[in-house]
Amino acid sequence: MLNPAEKAYLQALQALREKQYGQAAGYFDRAAEFFGNNREFSLLRETTNLLLEVKKAIAAAEGRNDDVLIAEEIISYGKETKLS
Amino acid sequence: MSRTDTLKSLEVVIESFLERAVSLKSGRLDVLDGINRLDDIARSTGEPGTFQQVELSDQIGEWFAQHRQWIDDSTLRASDLNRIGQILGGITKEIDSSGQFTPATEKIRAEIERWQSRMTAAPSQSRPTTGRKIVLRKGPESLDEAGVHPSNQDSIGLYAESLKTMAGLFEDLSRDRLHLMSILDDSLKTASLKKSREALLLSASIIYYLKQNGYMIEPFVKRLKEAERLQKRSRAGA
Repeated sequence: MLNPAEKAYLQALQALREKQYGQAAGYFDRAAEFFGNNREFSLLRETTNLLLEVKKAIAAAEGRNDDVLIAEEIISYGKETKLS
Repeated sequence: MSRTDTLKSLEVVIESFLERAVSLKSGRLDVLDGINRLDDIARSTGEPGTFQQVELSDQIGEWFAQHRQWIDDSTLRASDLNRIGQILGGITKEIDSSGQFTPATEKIRAEIERWQSRMTAAPSQSRPTTGRKIVLRKGPESLDEAGVHPSNQDSIGLYAESLKTMAGLFEDLSRDRLHLMSILDDSLKTASLKKSREALLLSASIIYYLKQNGYMIEPFVKRLKEAERLQKRSRAGA
């Protein structure tokens, strides 16, 4: 059986392949306890984090805020209500 | 060039690096993804109330069909074959313990057996063994006329003593620790820094235990070999 850290590392690599860098960073974090001493793992993890910082800086310079996603759920007493 | 342009150039360079790095691992990634999917299927068989034979049969059948080429080419490493064998064995065990013998379970079992037999046959066909022959010799299991063991060493007593020391060391290292891997980390550090032979033996034992439980142990094996090398060098210099 694969342990959770191995699964997380694999998912991180798959996320990188799909260019889902935020997700990849999360998976790298989960795998870090087990693979922290692995040089290849550390290189990919740090590079991904660096890329996310660069993307954040670009978004800030362009006046965008990519980090915030506002999701509002309109439910009243277990029933859906019409959006006004 | 503006700051934003510089950042965007950097973004392109880093993305390109990551893309190439992942592309280099593409083959391994496919293998690990396949093993991971099989692992997920195996885990789903163990969840109470989720043992859907027909669906499971379909999932395993689909997995076998998708990965049939693994048997014919040399994509898989020995460790991969070992892992797949373990997972398939786990699925068979789960089916057996469920006590359900239906056409669906029989189909799964037959498919697994077919794969396991092909997997054990495949390495010998495609990868000739080049391993070294090792001959182990030991003295007779008896004492000489003077009542002393021929090797002049009480190997059983020495090993028992070593086990005791290892148990004590393990107890010391396990204080305030939550995971065996943390203890292994400390044990390897002790083996390297203090050149402790017992710490080296304890580390090897934990590594083998983790291996038996399906953990990835390669990074620890490297550290164990390094600690062993340091100890040999230290003894040679003494």
